[in-house]
Amino acid sequence: MTALLLRRLLALPLVVVAAAVLVFLLPRFSGQDTALAVLRSRTGEADPDPAVLAALRERFGLDGSWWDQFTAWAGAVLTGDLGVSYTARTPVSGLLWPALGVSLTLTVAALVVAGLVGIPAGVHAARRPGGRLDRALTAGSVLGVAVPEFVLGTVLVLTFAVTVPVLPATGWGSPAQAVLPVVTLAAFPAALAAQLVRAETIDVLGRVHVTVARSKGLPDRVVLWRHGGRLALTSVTSLSGLFLGGLLGGSVVVEVLFSVPGVGRLLYDAVLGQDLPVVQAGLLVVIVLAALAGIAAELLALALDPVARSAVR
Amino acid sequence: MPAAPAAAPPHRRPRLRIAAALAASAAVLAACGGSGEGTGQVVPDAQLTVAMAFAPGAGYAIDTDDAFVLSQLGVTETLVASGADGQARPALATAWEQQPDPRTWRFELRPGVTFQNGEPLTGEAVANALDRLAGVEAPPRAIKSIGLDAAADGATAVRVTTTAPDPVLPLRLSSANTGILAPSAYASTPPAVQGTGTGPMTLTRADGIQSATLQRNDTYWGERPQLAGVTANFVPDPAARALALSAGDADIAQELPDTATLEFTGDEYTNETVAAPRTASLQLNQSRAPFSDLRVRQAVTAAIDRTALGEQALAGSAVPAAELFGPAVTWGAQEPPPPADPARARQLLAEAGFGPENPLRVELGTYANRPELPTLATAVQEMLRAAGIEANIRVGDYDAREPDLLAGDYDMYLVSRSYLLDVPDAGATLQSDYSCAGSYNINRYCSPEFDALLAPLASETDPAARQEVFRQASAKLVTDAVGVPLVHTRANGVGHQVAGYTVDPLAKTLVVPGLAKTG
Amino acid sequence: MSAEVVTGRRFAAAPWVRRLQRPLRAGAVLLLGVLVLVMMLPLDPTANDLSQRFAGPSLEHPLGTDQLGRDVLVRLVVGARISIGFTLVVLVICGVAGTLIGTLAGWVGRTLGQLFQRTIDVLVAIPAILIGLVVVAASGGAPGLWSLLLAVVITGWTPFARLTHQLVVRERSREYVEGALAIGASPGRIAFRHVLPNLSRPLLAHLCLRFANVLLTVAGLSFLGLGPQPPTPEWGAMLAEGRQFMFNAPQLVVLPALAVVGTALVVTGIGRALERRRPTGPSGQF
Repeated sequence: MTALLLRRLLALPLVVVAAAVLVFLLPRFSGQDTALAVLRSRTGEADPDPAVLAALRERFGLDGSWWDQFTAWAGAVLTGDLGVSYTARTPVSGLLWPALGVSLTLTVAALVVAGLVGIPAGVHAARRPGGRLDRALTAGSVLGVAVPEFVLGTVLVLTFAVTVPVLPATGWGSPAQAVLPVVTLAAFPAALAAQLVRAETIDVLGRVHVTVARSKGLPDRVVLWRHGGRLALTSVTSLSGLFLGGLLGGSVVVEVLFSVPGVGRLLYDAVLGQDLPVVQAGLLVVIVLAALAGIAAELLALALDPVARSAVR
Repeated sequence: MPAAPAAAPPHRRPRLRIAAALAASAAVLAACGGSGEGTGQVVPDAQLTVAMAFAPGAGYAIDTDDAFVLSQLGVTETLVASGADGQARPALATAWEQQPDPRTWRFELRPGVTFQNGEPLTGEAVANALDRLAGVEAPPRAIKSIGLDAAADGATAVRVTTTAPDPVLPLRLSSANTGILAPSAYASTPPAVQGTGTGPMTLTRADGIQSATLQRNDTYWGERPQLAGVTANFVPDPAARALALSAGDADIAQELPDTATLEFTGDEYTNETVAAPRTASLQLNQSRAPFSDLRVRQAVTAAIDRTALGEQALAGSAVPAAELFGPAVTWGAQEPPPPADPARARQLLAEAGFGPENPLRVELGTYANRPELPTLATAVQEMLRAAGIEANIRVGDYDAREPDLLAGDYDMYLVSRSYLLDVPDAGATLQSDYSCAGSYNINRYCSPEFDALLAPLASETDPAARQEVFRQASAKLVTDAVGVPLVHTRANGVGHQVAGYTVDPLAKTLVVPGLAKTG
Repeated sequence: MSAEVVTGRRFAAAPWVRRLQRPLRAGAVLLLGVLVLVMMLPLDPTANDLSQRFAGPSLEHPLGTDQLGRDVLVRLVVGARISIGFTLVVLVICGVAGTLIGTLAGWVGRTLGQLFQRTIDVLVAIPAILIGLVVVAASGGAPGLWSLLLAVVITGWTPFARLTHQLVVRERSREYVEGALAIGASPGRIAFRHVLPNLSRPLLAHLCLRFANVLLTVAGLSFLGLGPQPPTPEWGAMLAEGRQFMFNAPQLVVLPALAVVGTALVVTGIGRALERRRPTGPSGQF
């Protein structure tokens, strides 16, 4: 276990460096003039004035070689300085951390909702595979996987904000405003968790120790939750690590759709405005977080599952 | 407090009544024609929530487009006020005069004005604000490359000098970017805007691109503001703004989808649509065939049914354009464009050597940042097809295409452009877009007669005389078939149970002292 | 490897599922036929008639018209060409690249295999939407089919590679491989001539499951305006365009939504049917 933790943590710098190179290089492949894009995002329809563009380029350090730009940026990031936004002209950290807080809240809430809905649904479906409940839940979960956020979000808005106006369709701050975004984001992981838990539980219920427990006369419900549920949880946990990363980025659609001031929308605006410091720092932070979430989930899964733990040793 | 139930806002813009021109979109007009003042009694000291379309992405920097947000929210004010009539009116300055040296104007400041934080409005403060603005690395459009330099002239006046005589300097100083902030604001970059304006509302809390909170400025020099506070939510999605309004999350929503404005009718709604000083034009490249031929350009003009574009393709969200300047400004065309004439288009094409055996094939480029442009392009393509012109639509990034456009390497390109550039005077646009030496002459139009027509603008200060030049220039562009002005964009907004709400076509005002909620 | 926890499903498929398999297959064949036919039709998705705006269903326009009087059915069909055709191209590229890389990585040994694992870990951590944003930034802010392709492919090959890698590592220890090794076949030959063909079925099932995923990602990116631009009738873009008419013409939102979800459901169904017919194997459905 410790060895695994060490291995993963040692691999982390590799992930970070690779991610840093990636997020730094990709936006620079464009033939686009960053200075012009920044100018236009400050004042729309500005006629490009060559002197102004040159001045901007110099101040952003865009006239140096890619290597110089990269070392300068990476050096600053290592000291915790994420740079200054081109458009807002304020430190990136002041924009990024609050947005990240919003996104994390949204994502974790969605994950919790997904777990609270998906896991019981999966376990219940597994009690009688092929039964009526199983069929209904499976159909629901298949649908949940096939409906993307932008469709679900739009349909929810159409239903609960237009047809029956009971919920606000935009904004962030009050619990009511969080309902639609969280539900939209939670549907996919909930459906997937339900499918996974169902399959796992059916699998586990067939294993020897469960049969033993059953033969000892433990009630079905207890067996189901104590043994099946717990083992199934491990796979869901490891999956949620992937989800946390995926959701952080995947919430771009939800944040844009519902005007939620999260990191997804921040990045969306920054990319469209060629605000490179925000793009780089934002992507880097999201990627590192996703990697960390993956490791955490893997360890948690090991801690929960004694069989896998001994296998790792 | 004067509890006038139907208080008119202090500088109400001449609201456009386009009913005669647009009989077909009667439904839209029914919504925007009346009930401008709300119905119930004004609620004193109310809180109002606005769903705004444009979010301050540059940290409320006064030198960027964020200045419009500050101006609309009633935080900042300029030396001069102006409207679509192109007349300069007193604001923070009460009087102004061009000096014997025509490069200098002297502005007399309004006495007794203080910034929201208590600092006095002095010549020194104004000069500082203007010089800071002129000194940024990318000065805003209104004062760009005029070499603006301001100096205090005693405590109550300021002298503003430019490198060349500038007949419209007072109008330039009505641009939202020239809003005056207190000297202490400039300690930070971008300048701090909390408590440093002079307007009727003080910004108390700025929550990024999400929202802003404002409180009444009790020391405001003008009429006492009716509202005790305002919350501005920045909602970039039009459908979401409409939803916020219908759900009661907002009292005012800007720029709604046009089909959505139809939802908000009835006495409790103030539903306004005005023409904005912005034209979507089909640029025709005159530097090469086929559009170097006047007949082909005229054929394109005749083929396009601009009335259908405005009223049907864009569902009434735009006014059909007869010429470059539209009904948003006093010198603009108030008449509808002539109807389409496909037969004449075919005939002109035949004269130019194109026909069924030798059809004219062109590329029609545009960009998608403004969602109405691909829609217009699609409809125009169909209209051109009916006249025998095959146009192939290409939608791409504008910035990437701009060098080609300026170099004359394109056929047709559909752009949307404001013809005022933040100043209610069209001189700058006419020079840059249509004169031979123009820096933004996408049509590649060059006519010595036209340039001679513009010559008086360099020194003429009388608005009426200038506007006569604008009219003649615009007519000349129509005669020479320089591009095809298709439609003028409209600005709209809906208020629910509010009084004193108007939609400013120049996007400068929204929260004014007379704005109030009604019961 | 945590995904190993996700072992096979040792349970019989529900009877209704089995009953559904035959019609599903028939449906798939039918769908394919219709698609091929539709691809041939000379349809113009931008032909418009301004006098026919927001028209209801009629013989001429079975699904009515949109805000420009364009036939919604024609646009959906042409949109299917774009959405489905594009997804297929993406899948082929991702499938081929991922399978090759995964097979190689499963064969080259521990150290390189570890490196491969970590690379995949990084790429899997980056959601396609974010990559899409970056690629659009990299394409000079001019989104289109090419930037969309790049955006989806950059991360899209990893699940295939991961799955192939797992399968190859498992197959390596099988007897037939050891036999082949014993008679002196070269590792490359074994990997591609013996092992890979044995994996074709799970890979095919995986392909179907990935199809839905890619389709939804592509539509999502288009919805955000990061894909083909209007007037191109991509489903996601159509839905985004339809949102502004949500109040008075909700069908302009609902119909593209149904097209996207319906297609995803059908293909997922086929994939599940395929998957269910093999006894064990990692599902790798993420």
